Amino acid sequence: MIYKIMLALWMCFILAASFLLTDPAMGFPGETSRILFFHVPQAWVATLSFLLSMIGSVVFLAKRRPKADHLALAAAELGFVFCVLATVTGSIFAKATWGAYWNWDPRETSIVILLMIYGAYFALRSAVADSEKKKVFAAAYAILAFVTVPFLVFIVPRITVSLHPENTMNPANPGMDPKTLMVFLGSLVAYTGLFLWMLRLKMRILFLEQLKNKKKV
Amino acid sequence: MKNGRWITQTESLTCLSEAAAIWKRDLKSEFRTRYAVNAILMFAFTTLIAVSFSIGAFRIEEAEKPFLDAVLLWIILVFSALSGLSRSFVKEEEAGTMDILKLSASPHAVFLGKLFFNLVLLGALEVIIVPFFVLLMGYDIKFPGYFWAMVVSAGLGLGTATTIVAAMIARASVRGALFSVLSFPLLLPLMITAIKGCERAAMGLNTAGWPEVKIAVAYTVIMTIVSIFLFPMIWEE
Amino acid sequence: MKEAIPFALNVRRLSKHFEETRLFEDISFSLVHGEVFAITGWNGSGKSTLLRIIAGLVRPSAGDIEMMSNDSVVSKDSRRKFIGLVAPALSLYDELTGLENMVFFHKVRGGNSDPSACLDVMRQVGLAGQEDKPCKDYSSGMKQRLKLAQALIHKPPLLLLDEPGSNLDNKGIKIVEDIICEQRKAGIILIASNEKREVDYADRILNLSE
Repeated sequence: MIYKIMLALWMCFILAASFLLTDPAMGFPGETSRILFFHVPQAWVATLSFLLSMIGSVVFLAKRRPKADHLALAAAELGFVFCVLATVTGSIFAKATWGAYWNWDPRETSIVILLMIYGAYFALRSAVADSEKKKVFAAAYAILAFVTVPFLVFIVPRITVSLHPENTMNPANPGMDPKTLMVFLGSLVAYTGLFLWMLRLKMRILFLEQLKNKKKV
Repeated sequence: MKNGRWITQTESLTCLSEAAAIWKRDLKSEFRTRYAVNAILMFAFTTLIAVSFSIGAFRIEEAEKPFLDAVLLWIILVFSALSGLSRSFVKEEEAGTMDILKLSASPHAVFLGKLFFNLVLLGALEVIIVPFFVLLMGYDIKFPGYFWAMVVSAGLGLGTATTIVAAMIARASVRGALFSVLSFPLLLPLMITAIKGCERAAMGLNTAGWPEVKIAVAYTVIMTIVSIFLFPMIWEE
Repeated sequence: MKEAIPFALNVRRLSKHFEETRLFEDISFSLVHGEVFAITGWNGSGKSTLLRIIAGLVRPSAGDIEMMSNDSVVSKDSRRKFIGLVAPALSLYDELTGLENMVFFHKVRGGNSDPSACLDVMRQVGLAGQEDKPCKDYSSGMKQRLKLAQALIHKPPLLLLDEPGSNLDNKGIKIVEDIICEQRKAGIILIASNEKREVDYADRILNLSE
């Protein structure tokens, strides 16, 4: 209860601070650099989710603990939400800064592929009828998808940048003034806190659903 | 310790010979029914003809050709593969022979056997379609060695990723669509690499270090290892 | 005649439920070399599923199975070489001939490509002369005999027979009887059936409907 209230207050503070406490960054038109406080943490949470989902998958395959599958599924669902948010905010930023909603630069490409991976994960879960098998297959897929991520993160940027000279969006550059950096980190904490809170709730729901199903047998 | 190593060697030899039995049987069955081969080649040729007819060798500017032709080639190859490579597992499920295969063969032998089968199909696809593509599209390739190395290495990766996914979807509903939906995100990094590699070969750029081929090989190796670990869990009920 | 290696099967507290249906619970029994054990029960009571669990095709919801060959435990990965299963749900490769099917099942269990062993077994089940016919041209009786053959080709100590007499004429049923007699020397037989004739072969009976 307290956690919820504190989180809400903190997020309101960050929201206000992002507009009132900090100045827009150099090199970005108008106020657009403020997106940094929202877009980057969202993308960060989307990636963190994927990592957690993969860890849950590995543990589930190794130990077959139901809670591990709950983690995998809950993290995937939340990760998907934050991934959509990150894509939308990034697209708005792209329009404001570069004039086009979509450019297929490496970061944009990676986030779309992450979206596709999440989509495929849910498609697999809903297509397999048997509930035990569904979990095993989904876990296997999450691991396979995770294995391709290093290729995305290291290969795609290297290959596409060499042919397309325009620079990729790089808001996480170290040249941030202290105020901006603090608000940014605060926002990072806020989003992570929000994610973890939602994750716990979602896992609890899944656990209760599992209890309900067990009772029927 | 040495004893342990010898046992593993014999075990892997038997596993390979069992895999060979599965692979040969799959080929024999495929030869008699020709289901997958037909699907894959029909798709590939239809797409190739459509592309060649509408775009052909002269519609694309010379400067853009290396890149765009590479893109078109890999679209044709990947989607042709997706139209037929799930066959090796789906056929077992549809014929009801999954159970007897589970009963008699070890999971690793099954995976390797099916993988080799898919690689043979893919190899046939590439050997037939790529030359036709190059001819019909007037694709001028300055370094054919690098080009073919790219085609082969990316083909291996394509085969591995699709085999493990095919195992997962064999018993699912809406198999065809699900196969593509699941494979595509896994294949994208490989596709991008293959396109760049073919473009590099076509343009005659510096190929020192064979960057894209190395990436494709790394992808194949990693996917194969992870698949070998995951497959027994997918295979058993 | 080689001395058969003693084989034992221990089933402990096996249960199976699917989603909301409880199929069976807490099934335990132990079998020693030479025993024939029958499992009966009305359709849907789980006879086939129990056999499939022992064969390793289905995971039990609870309990475990132990197989001992010559007093040492058989690991899960090696079990397929010790088990032969005949069941209505099993299918063979229709586009291959009977002999090709047999050679495949033999090779895939570690045997060689020499067809003579396969031909012998096919003769034993009464399929002599039908080896080169594609399986899709087999009658249901012939298919059943081929299923028996594939279960025997690797001389497994544990033979699992799910309604072995289905689709068989009197000659076929006699063949099943002979197989059961032979198998007593080689190991253990489990029969899942409601047919009195088949259940009568058994030394002990488990009724899943109770």
